[in-house]
Amino acid sequence: MSSKASQLVHFATGHRKLVFWVVALLAVAALSQFPRMNVDTDPENMLPASNPERQFHNLTKSTFAMRDTVVVGVVNDKGVYNPTTLDAVYQVTKFADSLEGVVHSDLMSLANVDNISQGEPGTLRFEWMMPQPPADAAAAGEIKTNAERIPLLNDTLVSGDAKAAAIYITLENKNSSWAIAKQVQGFIDQLPASAANGDQWHITGLPVAEDRFGVDMFIQMGISAPLAGLMIFVLLWVFFRNVAFITAPMLVAMATVVITMGALIGAGFTVHIMSSMIAIFLMPIAVVDSVHILSEFSDRYKPGDNAKAVIEEVMGHLFTPMLYTSITSTVGFLSLMMTPIPPVQIFGAFVGGGIMLAFLLTITFIPAYISGLSEKNLAKLTAQQPDPSQSKLAGVIRKFGHVASHHGRWWIAGFAALFAISVYGISQIKINDNPVRWFKAGHELRVADRVLNEHFAGTYDAYLVLSSHNDIKASLQPLLQNAQQQASDDSVKQWLGDLQAQLAATDTADIDLTDIALQVDDQLFSAGDEDAGLLENLMNELDKITSQQKAFVAPEVLHYMEKLQAHLQASGLVGKSNSLADIVKTVNRELRSGENSDFVIPDSSNAVAQTLLQYQSSHRPQDLWHFVTPDYQQSLIWLQLTSGDNQDMTAVVNLVADYVAANPLPQALTYRWAGKAYLNVIWQKQMVEGMIGSLIGAFITVLVIMIFLFRSVAFGLLAMLPLTLTISLIYGLVGLIGKDYDMPIAILSALTLGLSVDFAIHFIERLRATFARTQDWSATMAEMFEEPGRAISRNAIVIAIGFTPLLFAPLVPYITVGVLLGSIMAISAIVTLIVIPAVAAPFKKQLFKTAPQTSEESHHA
Amino acid sequence: MRKLFAAALTSVLALAHTSAFAETDASVRDIVKKAELASYYAGDDGRTEARMLIVDAQGRKQTRQFTILRRDRADGGEQDLMVFFSRPADVRDTVFRVIKRTDADDDRWLYLPGLDLVKRISAGDKRTSFVGSNFFYEDVSGRNTELDDFQLVEETDSLYRLGATPKDPSSVEFSRYVVEIDKTTFIPMQIEFFDSQDRLYRKVQALKVETIQGYPTVTYSRIEDLLNGGATEMQFRHIKYNLGLPEDIFSERSLRTPPRQWLELGQ
Repeated sequence: MSSKASQLVHFATGHRKLVFWVVALLAVAALSQFPRMNVDTDPENMLPASNPERQFHNLTKSTFAMRDTVVVGVVNDKGVYNPTTLDAVYQVTKFADSLEGVVHSDLMSLANVDNISQGEPGTLRFEWMMPQPPADAAAAGEIKTNAERIPLLNDTLVSGDAKAAAIYITLENKNSSWAIAKQVQGFIDQLPASAANGDQWHITGLPVAEDRFGVDMFIQMGISAPLAGLMIFVLLWVFFRNVAFITAPMLVAMATVVITMGALIGAGFTVHIMSSMIAIFLMPIAVVDSVHILSEFSDRYKPGDNAKAVIEEVMGHLFTPMLYTSITSTVGFLSLMMTPIPPVQIFGAFVGGGIMLAFLLTITFIPAYISGLSEKNLAKLTAQQPDPSQSKLAGVIRKFGHVASHHGRWWIAGFAALFAISVYGISQIKINDNPVRWFKAGHELRVADRVLNEHFAGTYDAYLVLSSHNDIKASLQPLLQNAQQQASDDSVKQWLGDLQAQLAATDTADIDLTDIALQVDDQLFSAGDEDAGLLENLMNELDKITSQQKAFVAPEVLHYMEKLQAHLQASGLVGKSNSLADIVKTVNRELRSGENSDFVIPDSSNAVAQTLLQYQSSHRPQDLWHFVTPDYQQSLIWLQLTSGDNQDMTAVVNLVADYVAANPLPQALTYRWAGKAYLNVIWQKQMVEGMIGSLIGAFITVLVIMIFLFRSVAFGLLAMLPLTLTISLIYGLVGLIGKDYDMPIAILSALTLGLSVDFAIHFIERLRATFARTQDWSATMAEMFEEPGRAISRNAIVIAIGFTPLLFAPLVPYITVGVLLGSIMAISAIVTLIVIPAVAAPFKKQLFKTAPQTSEESHHA
Repeated sequence: MRKLFAAALTSVLALAHTSAFAETDASVRDIVKKAELASYYAGDDGRTEARMLIVDAQGRKQTRQFTILRRDRADGGEQDLMVFFSRPADVRDTVFRVIKRTDADDDRWLYLPGLDLVKRISAGDKRTSFVGSNFFYEDVSGRNTELDDFQLVEETDSLYRLGATPKDPSSVEFSRYVVEIDKTTFIPMQIEFFDSQDRLYRKVQALKVETIQGYPTVTYSRIEDLLNGGATEMQFRHIKYNLGLPEDIFSERSLRTPPRQWLELGQ
């Protein structure tokens, strides 16, 4: 231990009260931040706000008024087209429309959409689909006929099998979705006629899932973290049988968690699914170092000794290995910062910082606490302490050591084979995630998701945005220049000059042709006769430019969209797609004959524009702007998918890319993706790529630290071997059994690297020390599977057991983390104990000859 | 045309009024009737050019330009209306023809030149959007005042404030409205609509009233969607009354062959 470190420990034992006060004050200050906690459950935040795909997604949402939506579905096996079910749909719609936070104009249900139809022969009719609940079965049947005739509604608002209807409640702010869903559920619960009729109601939608996730996250933090604390307490009691004694590491763990979380909240970060796991990660890690100190202290302390002197001596032995294991663990977590996903970065940074804080607390608070324990208490400790060498664990380890330290070549061959299989398994890994699957299989949201996707074309949205790009400026400028030269009235000249200057200073994308046309029209209204012709002419030219700009009234473009949609539908990957082409065809059909033969796109741009003018003469003219912008330069194809899995969305993205490559977009249009299903693909991709960086970064850093610690490249590499094998093994297994590689699995790779190297550090340190003393391999091996083997196993057990409360968490990612981390810890402890002796044995001469001793020989457990 | 124009703004107000008189105070009946005449029946006929600016909740704009011809068959009674679109350019020459009736549903026709199609529009619901604007069809043609009951809420120095409720609430999306009628011109200056939860969701205002050929005429009006955002402004220009429009131009023939001479501004 360096002199500065020993001074620090000495200072701590000499100023015990000060240490307690500082820790207590820090904890209180951190606690005071807790009420400011903000929970963030939005998967969108997996991408930084500056991410271009995320920005485009949000731009698309606002441009086309695609809102976050709570989906209410009603399913009746006898069919929904009966007066009772439709009455319930009507009542729920009216109720939802009365709620604050609902976007009324976009709320969609049978009770507030239009039916466009042929009225009497030769007439066109717009009327509410269901202005009031139908009085009898016949009226209900009429609604069925009407709704199924309208492509935008069929399989979206009503299911093709007539057994389900949906209400899309559009939200001003997705944060209110859970509250609104709850109110709607409450209202539905008070519709006895509907229940008696056999109606089953489901509420889902990604915002509801997100909101619900936040609720479950709090449950997790409220239950799992204290449970982990309790587990560790019980384990420590089994090891040391003295409550006063083991209170010290518990206090360190709690202080670490509280101060770290307080710092996170105080720094203004939100608590995300990742950061909600900070407590449960820090608790076992924070205790591990203390376990070393307590173990060694209880070994060395004899009644009558000066506790302060003993603890300072113990600290002298343990300081270096504790520092290095803390640093490597921290490196593992900090490496997560190389992944470009903010919640993962914050998690990595704060757990990494928390581990260093735990180290600091351990080397100050523990000595201060223990040196203050009474003689009586310390005497009890030694008396009650069971002889560790007689424990059941000791027997198991000894036997294990016997097997492990023999048959080295077989072990090496076995591990090489396992490694090869693992590499194959890793190559089979399927990268896939779906936030709805974060809920357990039987969760009501999972059920609703499944049922609604069975009946409808899909509740997962992706948007394909097509854009036209025209250089309006280039066409406008000569026009205005020309007009200015010809104008006779000075005020008209002046105005045209100003207009040109204004135009020059505006980005092409921001030029508002409508506004310019209005100005010309105003001039025309006030101008004298001499310029009337000129302005009239200018107006006509502007009309031409405006018409040319409208890419999405061109039949050619609409035909392309129609064919692309047919291609998507034929692939079976998309439940349904909706576009401007569908609207145009529907209105054209009703304008013409109402017959299917007229379900076509008219053959001129003007005809399309006039068709759309009719569509706008409905009760819901604003619906048009979900599919095209008012300047007709951007259009959105809304894809409904029945699966939110990234894999499925990726297949759709590839399908479209291939189609566009084979069939170039007309009029130099470009396309881009948006929608939640697509965003999930993006952050998933970033996470996988980022994780590879994190893993490599952590590996190299830890390797360098190992080489530095052991002053030996060979020992450095040897130390990396067990964890390399372990991680390959776990991920190979993930690939082989076909478990999707999702967020929790991804983050574990880098951070376990930092955690499991601890075992190798301890093992190698002790191996070298023991071999240096005995100079005999067999004797060294026998000794290694006594106290050092027990210590490593004990640590593995503490960490593995410490994470088991995650198994009881309400959400799947937590469970995955619990299972995986526990197994990684257990496997890497075992692998360390086998692989290091097996690999070191054949090279022992070279290894131990060349390797100098570490700066300080340590023999901690 | 001021009629049409003013009518457009005021129609909502005025229409609502007529029917109520019988059951209510004679003076209220009188006010509603006068408002209806001032809004929709100025002169014997009229022409106006209308320019609509539709601004959605995001501030995006669309325009519509059209010319309206009107001819009264009887003052306060049946009317012929024709609406000829000139902009946007791709809907140019689209025409609406309406025979407004007081005792039956209006007759409506539509001509779409791009599809070379004349189509009758089934009446029924008149509270659908007028070509994508915040105006309803009924705001342009005038809501039948017989459909609502009126009460005098308040009388100030300059205006009457009337409360109106629909006789058949299921046929409309409002539960009530409040209209302010100017005491001198009898032009409805403002109408506020309330929904079934009594939220004020729609507001119609006459922003500018000019006297043309002796008739007070709304030349600038606005309708706002207060629940969802968005508004439509309508300006009326080149207004002229008592042109002597011949009866035969209000015919199906004029749908495909607009009566150019009556549409030109010089008239």
